[in-house]
Amino acid sequence: MNYAPTSISPAHSVHTKGAGEIRLVNLTKSFGDMDAVKDINLTIPHGSYCCLLGPSGCGKTTILRMIAGHETPTTGEIYIGDDMVVGKTPVERGTAMMFQSYALFPHLSVLDNVAFYLKMRGVGKEERRTRAREMLERVQLSHLANRMPAQLSGGQQQRVALARSLITNPKVLLLDEPLSALDEFLRLRMRGELKNLQDELGITFVHVTHTQPEAIALADMVVVMDTGRIEQAASANEIYNRPATPYVARFMGGQNVLTGRVESISPTGMVLKSEKGEIFNAPLTGAAPKLGEPVSISMRRDRISISKPQNGKGAQQADAVTGVVDSTEYQGSFVKVSIVLDGGETFVANMPDHEFFAEPVDHGVPVVARWKPEHVHVLSKADTEGTKDPYAGSGH
Amino acid sequence: MSAPALKEGRVSAATLPASRMKMTADSSGRKAWAPYLQVAPLTLVLLLFFAIPVALVVVVSFFRYQMLVGLVPDFTFKNYVDILTNPTNWSLYLSTFKFTIIVLAITFVLGFWISYFLVFHVRNLMTAIALFLICTVPFWTSNIIRMISWRPVLGREGLINQALQGMGVTAQPLDWLLYSDFSVIVAYVHLYTLFMIVPIFNSMARIDKSLLEAAVDGGASRWGVVWNVVLPLSKTGIALGSLFVVTLVMGDFSVVTVMSGGLSGSVTSGMFNDLQFLNYPRAAANAVILLIVVLLIAVAIFRLVDVRKELVR
Repeated sequence: MNYAPTSISPAHSVHTKGAGEIRLVNLTKSFGDMDAVKDINLTIPHGSYCCLLGPSGCGKTTILRMIAGHETPTTGEIYIGDDMVVGKTPVERGTAMMFQSYALFPHLSVLDNVAFYLKMRGVGKEERRTRAREMLERVQLSHLANRMPAQLSGGQQQRVALARSLITNPKVLLLDEPLSALDEFLRLRMRGELKNLQDELGITFVHVTHTQPEAIALADMVVVMDTGRIEQAASANEIYNRPATPYVARFMGGQNVLTGRVESISPTGMVLKSEKGEIFNAPLTGAAPKLGEPVSISMRRDRISISKPQNGKGAQQADAVTGVVDSTEYQGSFVKVSIVLDGGETFVANMPDHEFFAEPVDHGVPVVARWKPEHVHVLSKADTEGTKDPYAGSGH
Repeated sequence: MSAPALKEGRVSAATLPASRMKMTADSSGRKAWAPYLQVAPLTLVLLLFFAIPVALVVVVSFFRYQMLVGLVPDFTFKNYVDILTNPTNWSLYLSTFKFTIIVLAITFVLGFWISYFLVFHVRNLMTAIALFLICTVPFWTSNIIRMISWRPVLGREGLINQALQGMGVTAQPLDWLLYSDFSVIVAYVHLYTLFMIVPIFNSMARIDKSLLEAAVDGGASRWGVVWNVVLPLSKTGIALGSLFVVTLVMGDFSVVTVMSGGLSGSVTSGMFNDLQFLNYPRAAANAVILLIVVLLIAVAIFRLVDVRKELVR
């Protein structure tokens, strides 16, 4: 979808600044006695690309559906711009939703699908077909105008769904796992197109996904969710490099999480001691914790170096852990080395491939994994999940 | 029925990959008769119980009827001419059409909204199934009992009349409640609404719920959603249900006789009269005409909706 700048109709600039800001205030949704969404507060700035990220069942789709008006909040308020929109129809809200299944009307042609909104508005047949044809031209599908949805490929169906959403001239476009039904090649292409589209239209996009790379690649703002709660809402860079909680660190996948008790505190940092006696140096951020309090730290996988232990001295060094290589996975530009630590947790090092192949390690080889103290990030919450596999359920 | 089945067999053989085609070709000498054997039982049943009886009726409809003798083999159009020139027959057809159209309209409205309620309003699947089963309860008793049970409700001393008089709405019992067109229609609707509910329910259940939300997203009102999405996507069910109701009402004899107390008739009651005088040829001719009329209605319905395509989907 190469949208030529001239093809953008001026109608899309009518929304004033701030019109597409979404504010969720103390939002809760219960199904029976189960809370799908628990007391959420979130502000999505106007014109931003926001990704709601989390495993299935975390409530991200429920939030999207509440913003869209297809689900009523149990308690709480939703504002779009300055308007409280709970109880309003999608058209009154200025939202348009793209459904996971695309939800194209199977009995209507592509053209009539796109023209549906105009038909509901009582626009005459000729005019609405002309306008729908223009919209189809923008998504480069005008040659398929008279086809039925069943005759289109997945990618084409998605463009039709996009055209059908955009013809309502929305302030907010809501996308429910829009890329999940596409194959890998199309997914990457559509991902780029969605981002370009959002840049051009300048409206707010809210995109639900369970795929971390998708969120990282697209979003100005990533909202990581777990069982109905927001774990962290920040820029992709922040989420990836400075996760707030062990959950976020694990879910985003680029981090290792370790926990220790505060041994000593100095003006420049603190020293942690793990249950096995390993010593970790960590910077001091925010309020200093008490001595003996558990603190979790994380470090990026690609900041880890691996060496073979020398005469069993590895365990005594600070800022290092020892373990046995469990598996190695070649990923093209790097090699993912999974190490089972002495305590049974998994620790992952992503090594540049030239470094790895200079001194390869294999399954069963004992190793020391080291990092520099400046690469340590302190998490706001101590880890309580223990030795759970960081990738369980995350799909990556 | 056997011809399309054979055609299907050929089509699937033609679409087989080349390697498997070769195998079929190799073994064709031995296995060529196998598909015919597979369709033989159904073909036999259809021949015995459908094709032969219909052919017999058609043949007999050209026979001559002779008082006291009965059937005389012949080839005459007299029976058809008799029927088409008899004003009583025309009025019977007219009254049957009238009942068909009224019953079709009522069962469609009932069937559509009951299905709509079951599919889109009842969120719990178990509740929906339970309610659906309740719809079938009347079918646990016989046709006759279901018809006769209307008498204590609609009769002169019946439930409704007593209630109306008790409340002082009417001084005299209403006569038109029983043994009238009204009671005939009530019984038809009672008996045949399920035949409308089941196919409509079936096609509605297949509608993706997100389509309704997409329509709301596109600015459709409640009615807009029903009119633009639910109704067009239920077309197959409506067509099939209409086909059931039309054929049942057009071919009915007992309901109209019992519920009108013999005051109204149907095409089939005309045939019944002929049969009582052993005038088989004229009854057969009438049956052939009725068959053609119903077939034409069926063709018209299938013209409106491509049921075959929808069923394959």
